[in-house]
Amino acid sequence: MIEADPGAPLDIHRATVLPEWIDWNGHMNVGFYVVAFDKATDTLCNQFGVSWEYTREKIGMTFVIEAHVTYDREVKEGDPLRITTQLLDYDAKRVHYIHAMYHATEGYLAATNELMLMNIDFATRRSAPWPDWAMPRIEKMAEAHKHLPRPAQAGRIIGIKRKQP
Amino acid sequence: MSVILPYEMPALVTTAPLDVHRSTVLPEWVDWNGHMNLAFYVTAFDQASGAFMRNIGLGRRYVDGKHGMTFVLETHVTYDREMKGGAPMRFTTQLLDRDAKRVHLFHEMFHADEGYLAATNETIVMNIDFASRKSAPWPQQAAERLEQVWQAHQHLPRPAKAGRVMGLKKK
Repeated sequence: MIEADPGAPLDIHRATVLPEWIDWNGHMNVGFYVVAFDKATDTLCNQFGVSWEYTREKIGMTFVIEAHVTYDREVKEGDPLRITTQLLDYDAKRVHYIHAMYHATEGYLAATNELMLMNIDFATRRSAPWPDWAMPRIEKMAEAHKHLPRPAQAGRIIGIKRKQP
Repeated sequence: MSVILPYEMPALVTTAPLDVHRSTVLPEWVDWNGHMNLAFYVTAFDQASGAFMRNIGLGRRYVDGKHGMTFVLETHVTYDREMKGGAPMRFTTQLLDRDAKRVHLFHEMFHADEGYLAATNETIVMNIDFASRKSAPWPQQAAERLEQVWQAHQHLPRPAKAGRVMGLKKK
Protein backbone atom coordinates (compact mmCIF):
# COMPACT_ATOMS: atom_id res chain seq x y z
CA MET A 1 0.00 0.00 0.00
CA ILE A 2 1.33 3.44 -0.92
CA GLU A 3 2.16 6.08 1.63
CA ALA A 4 -0.79 8.44 2.11
CA ASP A 5 -0.35 11.94 0.66
CA PRO A 6 -1.06 14.62 3.29
CA GLY A 7 -2.02 17.34 0.81
CA ALA A 8 -5.23 19.31 1.30
CA PRO A 9 -6.73 19.16 -1.22
CA LEU A 10 -5.12 16.06 -2.74
CA ASP A 11 -3.14 17.48 -5.66
CA ILE A 12 -1.29 14.63 -7.36
CA HIS A 13 -3.38 13.63 -10.39
CA ARG A 14 -2.21 14.81 -13.82
CA ALA A 15 -3.46 13.87 -17.30
CA THR A 16 -3.58 15.00 -20.94
CA VAL A 17 -6.65 15.41 -23.18
CA LEU A 18 -6.48 12.50 -25.66
CA PRO A 19 -7.43 12.87 -29.36
CA GLU A 20 -10.27 10.34 -28.97
CA TRP A 21 -11.84 12.51 -26.25
CA ILE A 22 -12.62 15.28 -28.79
CA ASP A 23 -16.09 15.58 -30.35
CA TRP A 24 -17.57 17.32 -33.40
CA ASN A 25 -17.57 20.63 -31.50
CA GLY A 26 -13.75 20.47 -31.45
CA HIS A 27 -13.37 20.17 -27.67
CA MET A 28 -13.36 17.47 -24.98
CA ASN A 29 -16.76 15.78 -24.99
CA VAL A 30 -18.93 15.84 -21.85
CA GLY A 31 -18.54 12.09 -21.32
CA PHE A 32 -14.74 12.22 -21.42
CA TYR A 33 -14.56 14.88 -18.73
CA VAL A 34 -16.07 12.14 -16.57
CA VAL A 35 -13.54 9.59 -17.89
CA ALA A 36 -10.77 12.02 -16.87
CA PHE A 37 -12.38 12.61 -13.47
CA ASP A 38 -12.86 8.85 -12.96
CA LYS A 39 -9.10 8.37 -13.33
CA ALA A 40 -8.67 10.98 -10.58
CA THR A 41 -11.07 8.86 -8.52
CA ASP A 42 -8.72 5.89 -9.11
CA THR A 43 -5.91 8.08 -7.73
CA LEU A 44 -8.08 8.83 -4.68
CA CYS A 45 -8.99 5.15 -4.20
CA ASN A 46 -5.31 4.27 -4.44
CA GLN A 47 -4.76 6.52 -1.40
CA PHE A 48 -7.23 4.36 0.49
CA GLY A 49 -5.90 1.04 -0.82
CA VAL A 50 -9.10 0.23 -2.73
CA SER A 51 -8.03 0.76 -6.34
CA TRP A 52 -7.25 -1.67 -9.20
CA GLU A 53 -5.59 -4.40 -7.09
CA TYR A 54 -8.60 -4.38 -4.76
CA THR A 55 -10.83 -5.48 -7.63
CA ARG A 56 -8.24 -7.63 -9.42
CA GLU A 57 -7.79 -9.66 -6.22
CA LYS A 58 -11.61 -9.98 -6.00
CA ILE A 59 -11.71 -8.33 -2.60
CA GLY A 60 -14.10 -5.56 -3.45
CA MET A 61 -15.11 -2.79 -5.82
CA THR A 62 -16.17 0.83 -5.60
CA PHE A 63 -19.27 2.10 -7.44
CA VAL A 64 -20.23 5.72 -8.05
CA ILE A 65 -23.87 6.17 -7.11
CA GLU A 66 -24.31 9.84 -7.98
CA ALA A 67 -22.35 12.45 -9.92
CA HIS A 68 -22.66 16.16 -10.67
CA VAL A 69 -20.49 17.94 -13.23
CA THR A 70 -20.12 21.65 -13.93
CA TYR A 71 -18.54 22.41 -17.31
CA ASP A 72 -16.78 25.70 -16.73
CA ARG A 73 -14.49 26.09 -19.72
CA GLU A 74 -13.47 24.19 -22.85
CA VAL A 75 -10.28 22.11 -23.08
CA LYS A 76 -8.75 21.01 -26.39
CA GLU A 77 -6.74 18.01 -27.64
CA GLY A 78 -3.35 17.75 -25.96
CA ASP A 79 -4.18 20.14 -23.14
CA PRO A 80 -2.47 19.23 -19.86
CA LEU A 81 -4.85 18.70 -16.92
CA ARG A 82 -4.33 19.02 -13.20
CA ILE A 83 -7.06 17.54 -11.00
CA THR A 84 -7.40 18.24 -7.27
CA THR A 85 -9.66 16.30 -4.91
CA GLN A 86 -11.34 17.44 -1.71
CA LEU A 87 -13.04 14.99 0.64
CA LEU A 88 -16.36 16.50 1.79
CA ASP A 89 -17.83 13.72 3.95
CA TYR A 90 -17.73 9.98 4.57
CA ASP A 91 -19.46 7.21 6.45
CA ALA A 92 -18.94 3.47 6.98
CA LYS A 93 -19.57 2.65 3.30
CA ARG A 94 -19.40 5.88 1.32
CA VAL A 95 -17.18 8.86 0.52
CA HIS A 96 -18.45 12.21 -0.78
CA TYR A 97 -15.86 14.32 -2.59
CA ILE A 98 -15.34 16.90 -5.29
CA HIS A 99 -12.71 17.04 -8.02
CA ALA A 100 -11.61 20.30 -9.67
CA MET A 101 -10.03 20.10 -13.15
CA TYR A 102 -7.62 22.87 -14.15
CA HIS A 103 -5.74 23.57 -17.34
CA ALA A 104 -2.32 22.69 -15.93
CA THR A 105 -0.33 25.45 -17.64
CA GLU A 106 -2.93 28.23 -18.12
CA GLY A 107 -4.37 27.63 -14.66
CA TYR A 108 -8.07 28.16 -15.40
CA LEU A 109 -10.82 25.97 -13.94
CA ALA A 110 -12.21 23.71 -16.68
CA ALA A 111 -14.76 21.66 -14.74
CA THR A 112 -15.77 20.25 -11.35
CA ASN A 113 -17.15 16.83 -10.47
CA GLU A 114 -18.91 16.08 -7.19
CA LEU A 115 -19.30 12.36 -6.51
CA MET A 116 -20.70 9.83 -4.09
CA LEU A 117 -18.69 6.61 -4.09
CA MET A 118 -19.78 3.42 -2.35
CA ASN A 119 -17.79 0.39 -1.30
CA ILE A 120 -19.09 -2.87 -2.79
CA ASP A 121 -18.59 -6.49 -1.78
CA PHE A 122 -17.06 -8.38 -4.71
CA ALA A 123 -19.17 -11.53 -4.41
CA THR A 124 -22.62 -10.06 -3.70
CA ARG A 125 -22.14 -6.76 -5.64
CA ARG A 126 -23.94 -5.09 -2.71
CA SER A 127 -22.77 -2.24 -0.48
CA ALA A 128 -20.41 -3.17 2.34
CA PRO A 129 -18.33 -1.33 4.97
CA TRP A 130 -14.91 -0.02 3.94
CA PRO A 131 -12.16 -2.60 4.62
CA ASP A 132 -10.15 -2.20 7.84
CA TRP A 133 -7.11 -0.73 6.12
CA ALA A 134 -9.12 1.88 4.20
CA MET A 135 -11.09 3.44 7.05
CA PRO A 136 -8.13 5.00 8.94
CA ARG A 137 -6.83 6.41 5.66
CA ILE A 138 -10.23 7.95 4.89
CA GLU A 139 -10.43 9.41 8.40
CA LYS A 140 -6.95 10.85 8.11
CA MET A 141 -7.75 12.54 4.80
CA ALA A 142 -11.06 13.86 6.16
CA GLU A 143 -9.16 15.36 9.10
CA ALA A 144 -6.66 17.02 6.73
CA HIS A 145 -9.44 18.38 4.47
CA LYS A 146 -12.02 19.47 7.05
CA HIS A 147 -10.78 23.06 7.29
CA LEU A 148 -10.78 23.64 3.53
CA PRO A 149 -13.50 26.04 2.40
CA ARG A 150 -16.47 24.26 0.84
CA PRO A 151 -16.32 24.76 -2.94
CA ALA A 152 -19.18 26.81 -4.39
CA GLN A 153 -19.82 23.98 -6.89
CA ALA A 154 -20.59 21.43 -4.15
CA GLY A 155 -24.26 20.77 -3.36
CA ARG A 156 -25.61 22.54 -6.41
CA ILE A 157 -29.19 22.20 -7.60
CA ILE A 158 -29.55 22.22 -11.39
CA GLY A 159 -31.85 24.82 -12.87
CA ILE A 160 -32.13 27.84 -15.15
CA LYS A 161 -31.36 30.87 -12.99
CA ARG A 162 -33.38 33.88 -14.07
CA LYS A 163 -32.34 37.43 -13.43
CA GLN A 164 -34.67 39.31 -11.10
CA PRO A 165 -36.78 41.85 -13.08
CA MET B 1 -31.23 38.47 -33.31
CA SER B 2 -31.96 34.83 -33.86
CA VAL B 3 -30.67 32.80 -36.77
CA ILE B 4 -33.07 31.42 -39.42
CA LEU B 5 -31.95 27.93 -40.43
CA PRO B 6 -31.74 27.24 -44.20
CA TYR B 7 -32.51 23.50 -44.04
CA GLU B 8 -35.79 21.61 -43.77
CA MET B 9 -37.07 20.71 -40.30
CA PRO B 10 -37.95 17.11 -39.39
CA ALA B 11 -41.52 16.23 -38.31
CA LEU B 12 -41.92 17.43 -34.70
CA VAL B 13 -42.58 14.82 -32.00
CA THR B 14 -44.63 16.29 -29.13
CA THR B 15 -45.28 13.13 -27.09
CA ALA B 16 -44.63 13.80 -23.41
CA PRO B 17 -42.14 12.66 -22.32
CA LEU B 18 -40.16 12.30 -25.55
CA ASP B 19 -39.65 8.55 -25.97
CA VAL B 20 -37.68 8.07 -29.20
CA HIS B 21 -34.02 7.44 -28.33
CA ARG B 22 -32.73 3.85 -28.25
CA SER B 23 -29.16 2.62 -27.90
CA THR B 24 -26.97 -0.32 -26.86
CA VAL B 25 -24.16 -0.50 -24.28
CA LEU B 26 -20.97 -0.79 -26.35
CA PRO B 27 -18.20 -3.24 -25.30
CA GLU B 28 -15.72 -0.36 -24.93
CA TRP B 29 -18.02 1.29 -22.37
CA VAL B 30 -17.49 -1.57 -19.89
CA ASP B 31 -14.87 -1.10 -17.16
CA TRP B 32 -12.89 -3.37 -14.82
CA ASN B 33 -16.00 -3.77 -12.63
CA GLY B 34 -17.69 -5.58 -15.53
CA HIS B 35 -20.41 -2.97 -16.12
CA MET B 36 -20.95 0.27 -18.04
CA ASN B 37 -18.49 2.82 -16.62
CA LEU B 38 -20.06 5.94 -15.10
CA ALA B 39 -18.60 8.22 -17.77
CA PHE B 40 -20.32 6.35 -20.58
CA TYR B 41 -23.71 6.78 -18.95
CA VAL B 42 -22.99 10.50 -19.52
CA THR B 43 -22.04 9.76 -23.14
CA ALA B 44 -25.22 7.69 -23.61
CA PHE B 45 -27.32 10.47 -22.05
CA ASP B 46 -25.56 13.06 -24.22
CA GLN B 47 -26.78 11.12 -27.25
CA ALA B 48 -30.32 11.32 -25.80
CA SER B 49 -29.83 15.09 -25.51
CA GLY B 50 -28.77 14.94 -29.16
CA ALA B 51 -32.10 13.25 -30.01
CA PHE B 52 -33.96 16.05 -28.19
CA MET B 53 -31.97 18.65 -30.13
CA ARG B 54 -32.60 16.89 -33.47
CA ASN B 55 -36.32 17.04 -32.71
CA ILE B 56 -36.20 20.83 -32.39
CA GLY B 57 -34.14 21.05 -35.62
CA LEU B 58 -30.60 21.19 -34.23
CA GLY B 59 -29.01 17.96 -35.46
CA ARG B 60 -25.74 17.32 -37.23
CA ARG B 61 -26.63 19.77 -40.04
CA TYR B 62 -26.69 22.55 -37.45
CA VAL B 63 -23.02 22.01 -36.60
CA ASP B 64 -21.80 20.83 -40.03
CA GLY B 65 -23.40 23.90 -41.65
CA LYS B 66 -21.55 26.07 -39.08
CA HIS B 67 -24.83 27.62 -37.92
CA GLY B 68 -24.29 26.84 -34.26
CA MET B 69 -23.59 24.27 -31.57
CA THR B 70 -25.04 23.22 -28.25
CA PHE B 71 -22.87 22.90 -25.13
CA VAL B 72 -23.75 21.14 -21.87
CA LEU B 73 -23.18 23.48 -18.91
CA GLU B 74 -24.00 21.18 -16.05
CA THR B 75 -25.15 17.63 -15.51
CA HIS B 76 -26.30 15.46 -12.58
CA VAL B 77 -26.52 11.67 -12.78
CA THR B 78 -28.06 9.14 -10.42
CA TYR B 79 -26.74 5.61 -10.96
CA ASP B 80 -29.64 3.36 -10.05
CA ARG B 81 -28.70 -0.04 -11.44
CA GLU B 82 -25.86 -1.66 -13.34
CA MET B 83 -25.90 -2.15 -17.12
CA LYS B 84 -23.77 -4.80 -18.82
CA GLY B 85 -22.15 -4.81 -22.26
CA GLY B 86 -24.74 -5.28 -25.02
CA ALA B 87 -27.68 -4.21 -22.85
CA PRO B 88 -30.39 -2.41 -24.85
CA MET B 89 -31.31 1.04 -23.57
CA ARG B 90 -34.49 3.08 -23.87
CA PHE B 91 -34.46 6.77 -22.96
CA THR B 92 -37.27 9.15 -22.10
CA THR B 93 -36.74 12.92 -21.94
CA GLN B 94 -38.79 15.52 -20.14
CA LEU B 95 -38.35 19.26 -20.76
CA LEU B 96 -38.33 20.81 -17.27
CA ASP B 97 -37.66 24.42 -18.23
CA ARG B 98 -36.39 26.60 -21.06
CA ASP B 99 -35.40 30.18 -21.78
CA ALA B 100 -34.09 32.11 -24.80
CA LYS B 101 -30.77 30.20 -24.87
CA ARG B 102 -31.04 27.19 -22.59
CA VAL B 103 -33.01 24.01 -21.93
CA HIS B 104 -33.25 22.08 -18.69
CA LEU B 105 -33.77 18.39 -19.51
CA PHE B 106 -34.46 15.28 -17.43
CA HIS B 107 -33.58 11.92 -18.99
CA GLU B 108 -34.36 8.46 -17.69
CA MET B 109 -32.45 5.40 -18.95
CA PHE B 110 -34.24 2.05 -18.82
CA HIS B 111 -33.07 -1.45 -19.64
CA ALA B 112 -35.18 -1.78 -22.81
CA ASP B 113 -36.07 -5.48 -22.33
CA GLU B 114 -36.15 -5.85 -18.56
CA GLY B 115 -37.75 -2.47 -18.02
CA TYR B 116 -35.84 -1.39 -14.91
CA LEU B 117 -34.58 2.16 -14.37
CA ALA B 118 -30.79 2.17 -14.78
CA ALA B 119 -30.01 5.87 -14.30
CA THR B 120 -31.33 9.43 -14.51
CA ASN B 121 -29.66 12.54 -15.88
CA GLU B 122 -30.66 16.13 -15.31
CA THR B 123 -28.83 18.53 -17.58
CA ILE B 124 -28.64 22.12 -18.81
CA VAL B 125 -27.79 22.62 -22.49
CA MET B 126 -27.01 26.02 -23.99
CA ASN B 127 -27.13 27.25 -27.58
CA ILE B 128 -23.78 28.52 -28.87
CA ASP B 129 -22.90 30.78 -31.80
CA PHE B 130 -20.56 28.89 -34.13
CA ALA B 131 -18.12 31.73 -34.84
CA SER B 132 -17.79 33.32 -31.41
CA ARG B 133 -18.29 30.11 -29.33
CA LYS B 134 -20.42 32.27 -26.99
CA SER B 135 -24.02 31.73 -25.92
CA ALA B 136 -26.70 32.89 -28.37
CA PRO B 137 -30.52 32.74 -28.63
CA TRP B 138 -32.08 29.61 -30.14
CA PRO B 139 -32.50 29.81 -33.94
CA GLN B 140 -36.01 30.95 -34.88
CA GLN B 141 -37.40 27.54 -35.93
CA ALA B 142 -35.85 25.84 -32.89
CA ALA B 143 -37.41 28.43 -30.53
CA GLU B 144 -40.86 27.84 -32.06
CA ARG B 145 -40.52 24.06 -31.86
CA LEU B 146 -39.21 24.28 -28.30
CA GLU B 147 -42.37 26.17 -27.31
CA GLN B 148 -44.53 23.44 -28.84
CA VAL B 149 -42.60 20.79 -26.90
CA TRP B 150 -42.94 22.90 -23.75
CA GLN B 151 -46.73 23.10 -24.23
CA ALA B 152 -46.80 19.29 -24.27
CA HIS B 153 -44.36 18.75 -21.35
CA GLN B 154 -45.13 21.53 -18.87
CA HIS B 155 -47.95 19.65 -17.13
CA LEU B 156 -46.00 16.42 -16.58
CA PRO B 157 -45.32 15.72 -12.90
CA ARG B 158 -41.86 16.80 -11.79
CA PRO B 159 -39.60 13.73 -11.45
CA ALA B 160 -38.67 12.85 -7.84
CA LYS B 161 -34.97 12.76 -8.76
CA ALA B 162 -34.93 16.26 -10.29
CA GLY B 163 -33.25 19.04 -8.30
CA ARG B 164 -31.22 16.77 -6.04
CA VAL B 165 -28.51 18.02 -3.70
CA MET B 166 -25.78 15.44 -3.14
CA GLY B 167 -24.93 14.46 0.39
CA LEU B 168 -24.83 11.67 2.94
CA LYS B 169 -28.22 11.25 4.53
CA LYS B 170 -27.42 10.51 8.16
CA LYS B 171 -29.76 8.44 10.24
